[in-house]
Amino acid sequence: MTEFKYLIQDPLGIHARPAGMLAKLAKSFEGTTVYLTKDGNTVKASQLMKLMAMGVKAGDEVTIGCEGGDEAAAAAAMEQFLKENL
Amino acid sequence: MALDYRKCAEEIVANIGGAGNVVSAAHCATRLRLVIADNAKVNKAVLENIDGVKGMFESNGQLQLIIGTGTVNKVYDEFLAVTGLTAATKADVKAAAAAKDPLWRRILKVPGDVFVPILPAIVASGLMMGLVEAIPKFWPAFGNSDWYSFLDMIANTAFAFLPVLVAISTARVFGGNIFLGAVIGLLMIHGGLLNAWNAGSAENIAKFFNIEIDGVSPYLVDWKSFTGTVDIPTWKLFFFKVQRVGYQGHVIPVILAVALMSTIEKWLHKKVPEMIDLFVTPLCTVLVTGFVTMTIIGPIFSILENWVLAGAKWLAGSLPGAVVMGAIYPWTVVMGLHHMYNVIEAGMIAQTGLNTWMPIASAANFAQFGACLAVALKVHNQKTKSVALPSSLSASLGITEPAIFGINFRFMKPFLCGMAGGAVGSLFGALFKLGAPVYGVTGIPALPAVNNVGLYIVELLISAGVAAVLTWIVWKEEAPAAPVADDTAKTAIAAQEAKIEVPENVVISCSAGEIKAPVVGKVIPYTEIPDPTFAAGVLGEGVGVWPETEVVVAPYDGEISSVAESKHAVGITGPEDMELLIHIGVDTVAMNGDGFEVLVAEGDQVKAGQPLVKFSKEKIKAAGHPDVVVTLLTNSDDYENVTIHQ
Repeated sequence: MTEFKYLIQDPLGIHARPAGMLAKLAKSFEGTTVYLTKDGNTVKASQLMKLMAMGVKAGDEVTIGCEGGDEAAAAAAMEQFLKENL
Repeated sequence: MALDYRKCAEEIVANIGGAGNVVSAAHCATRLRLVIADNAKVNKAVLENIDGVKGMFESNGQLQLIIGTGTVNKVYDEFLAVTGLTAATKADVKAAAAAKDPLWRRILKVPGDVFVPILPAIVASGLMMGLVEAIPKFWPAFGNSDWYSFLDMIANTAFAFLPVLVAISTARVFGGNIFLGAVIGLLMIHGGLLNAWNAGSAENIAKFFNIEIDGVSPYLVDWKSFTGTVDIPTWKLFFFKVQRVGYQGHVIPVILAVALMSTIEKWLHKKVPEMIDLFVTPLCTVLVTGFVTMTIIGPIFSILENWVLAGAKWLAGSLPGAVVMGAIYPWTVVMGLHHMYNVIEAGMIAQTGLNTWMPIASAANFAQFGACLAVALKVHNQKTKSVALPSSLSASLGITEPAIFGINFRFMKPFLCGMAGGAVGSLFGALFKLGAPVYGVTGIPALPAVNNVGLYIVELLISAGVAAVLTWIVWKEEAPAAPVADDTAKTAIAAQEAKIEVPENVVISCSAGEIKAPVVGKVIPYTEIPDPTFAAGVLGEGVGVWPETEVVVAPYDGEISSVAESKHAVGITGPEDMELLIHIGVDTVAMNGDGFEVLVAEGDQVKAGQPLVKFSKEKIKAAGHPDVVVTLLTNSDDYENVTIHQ
């Protein structure tokens, strides 16, 4: 499992649209599962509904975990996405 | 025994907000699957650490606890016992209430619980049997036709093998394995046993009453052959002498046997080490139950039957006795003893030439008909009505099991009213010395044979009339307690109050089903939604609806899987795990909840058409956003043939 933490900057947090994009990206890594953790709750980042239900807002610190396959590449792509969009 | 299943189940219950918070429970090979009413009450951290729970996760709106093969079913049984839920996996409010009832009431409830699931079989058969057997009474030639014997066979199948149906249903009620239950039921009517329909212990009874049968009935041809020649074979097992007689037409002994079986089975499941549980438990269960049934339950019942029969014969001989008999007759139907009354009737004909038992039985049966008919006319519940009507018809033809078990005994009050009607009718019949020179029929089919047709009709009318009027006055339909029905009603009312328009047009269809529009308005494909992300299908395929009303409703039955904090979007999981995102307006997240009112919470079960979110078109417009209601099947990749309808 490759993990990194990220502090959400976007004032609106992970609402529907960014969640959709994040989930789409998380789904795109063959053989790698991406998890998102906030306050001890973990969901698969590819599950849009779960992701939205987390209600991640600006100032929240989330942990992204990538497991299996090319973990490092997935983690890097996720980090880049978060920096660009959130 | 490694794991204390009871303790495990109790701990689970304690950490999911108690039994009241469970909507339904089921299990698969490894997991206990629970639908929870209020997820906030679930203590996940503790749940995972319970001894026996190997893991947990939430999926499809279910809380799933991984327990393990061979163990999960035992924890499940205990879970049901602890929570008072039934294996029917419904939040059975009634069952929960029933657990508080006194013991006698719970015992009386058992036959009803057992019979409700098998009603379709016995209602069909009862009605068919009543009709098929009534025709020859008016048209004797039909009785000798091939059609008669063919139709009669179809009609009486459910009754001839009733113990099997009762056994399976009883096993379910008592939490036993239904296949083992079926084995016990089959055992009790095994071909190797003498068929109880052919008198059961008739010969003994004939001896018991010192009946000589010379008077022959035109309706039951082979009476003489079976009383004269049948010698009941016995087994000698230890010090038990077991009569090799089946239990055709019996109910109570079967329920007792299978209840015992379920108890033994569940007890063994707890005690026997898991490794050998699969073969040791069923083996011992069937063996012990079979033995106890044939050596103890069976003989006790045949002694009881003889007593009842002797008592019935004695009662029928006097006027007050006839009244009492008319009242208690349906109880003997409940016990399955009424099939033996032929002996009394035959004896009467042999001694006096007149069967005065028939008017008593007719009064009792017709009173049950009256009570059942009253229920059929008074009840609003369509399901009850649809059972009550054919059941009452069948009762008027002399086959009362469907009416008694399906309606009257279940609701009890109609049954008691029927007893009163039977008593009054019997009094009338005995006063006017009604009778018939035949036996084996009651109710309408007995009309051609009775010694005074006019008075007999009056007797039937009195019996049914008293029972029906009393039932009409005394019995009241219980308010529907089922939570689902309740919710539907509430939804309907809520929808009515707000005059909400529920759209009926399907906007998305796929292999998993159809999705209706969440709001009334003009539908556009997702590609035309004025937002690049939505239009690109990043969040799944779907539609946009330019709303004409200001309430979003659930497009299907499902569970609210997410509610955006800014109130502008809800996710709803439905059939086949379809996940629909309903996002009101574009960029409306920026409105931070102003102009939106969410009517549901995460985890809520909702019905199609139920209002989910109210919104203000004006405020969305004022904030400078398009108010299109984005409706996307977020997991559209998982389904085939996703089609959009405008």
